[in-house]
Amino acid sequence: MSSLAVTFVTSDRTVWSGSASQVVVPAADGSMGILPRMQPTLAILDRGVVRIHDESGQVTEREVAGGFVSVDADVVTIAVDRAARRDPAER
Amino acid sequence: MGAQQREYKKRIGSAQGMKKIFKAKEMVAASRIAKAHARVLATTPYADAITRAIGAVATHSGDVAHPFLDQERSSSGRAGIVLITADRGMTGSYSHNVIRAAEELANALQEEGKTPVLYVVGRKGETYYRFRNRPPHEAWAPYHEGELPELGHEIAQRVTADLLSEDPETHLDELYLVGTRFKTRFQQVARATRLVPIEVVDADEDHGTARPTYPLYEFTPDAEQVMDELMPRYLESKLVNILLQSMASEHAATQRAMKTATDNAETQVKKFTRLANSARQAEITQEITEIVGGADALSGSGRKER
Repeated sequence: MSSLAVTFVTSDRTVWSGSASQVVVPAADGSMGILPRMQPTLAILDRGVVRIHDESGQVTEREVAGGFVSVDADVVTIAVDRAARRDPAER
Repeated sequence: MGAQQREYKKRIGSAQGMKKIFKAKEMVAASRIAKAHARVLATTPYADAITRAIGAVATHSGDVAHPFLDQERSSSGRAGIVLITADRGMTGSYSHNVIRAAEELANALQEEGKTPVLYVVGRKGETYYRFRNRPPHEAWAPYHEGELPELGHEIAQRVTADLLSEDPETHLDELYLVGTRFKTRFQQVARATRLVPIEVVDADEDHGTARPTYPLYEFTPDAEQVMDELMPRYLESKLVNILLQSMASEHAATQRAMKTATDNAETQVKKFTRLANSARQAEITQEITEIVGGADALSGSGRKER
């Protein structure tokens, strides 16, 4: 089974990296789901929530404000200006 | 104890005190280098991602037009220079080196008929220009080490506004960055680089050399808007990166300067100890000579008892 190699970075650190089965990002023209074998895409992100489903089914959520995402041969790079935990109780 | 000896003892004492201070500063700087360098490395993934994305947009949508990419920007003849210096002294030649690099660049620009406009970070750079009666266009000083990313954001917004400004009084044709690159703990280089116009690596120019091939991207919403979003971020990431690198370099320079100062203090202590010893010896010799001389004088007088 193919999976996505995800790197989620902000300007000064790496927030999350690893392999995931599904990623949902808030693209500028609406929420965008990313699954393995998606066509190469470069999208601008709006304010919203990035959701990463990793291979064991765990979900990581981060509130982001502006940035971009690039998808290329199952390599997903999410680069945002700011990322905040959605729920402080999480983790 | 003689006056001379006391004087030397005093000097030894003060040199020892200073040595302790220098040593402490050296160790503080040494511990901060690693932390500052780690912060530089932490920004690398983001910078890489943004550089790759820009490369992808530029190679795949041949007709991207962005004001930062325009190679022929010459409307106002003003060239911005962002100069990054230290806030404090005791950093050896750190600030001096970047200021010299900025001055060389400013002179070169002036010879080309452009007007250099200075954006200075750090108190050392600011006072340098203020003292010479050429106050910088904009100065950020003093700054805090913990807030460098925010500072980078602020500077990026300011210069982006000036770069895109329509007003010939504030418009900038070009933008240069003068900062210190942190290569290793022992080697830092002050260097000036041009940031705008950005040179996009052109796919047509060097086919032979190995260069990354970018997939055919689908752009959301479209290539132009993606470029508009990416450019300011690219500028900002470059700025933040050089700010952090300069900070790490400043600590490295401080460490080196303080090491030299500690060594110097040690030499002083050694030198004054030698002098104090020979002064003491001279005093003893003189005392002996006086006693012997006195005894000789007594025996020569013919008196049997004292």
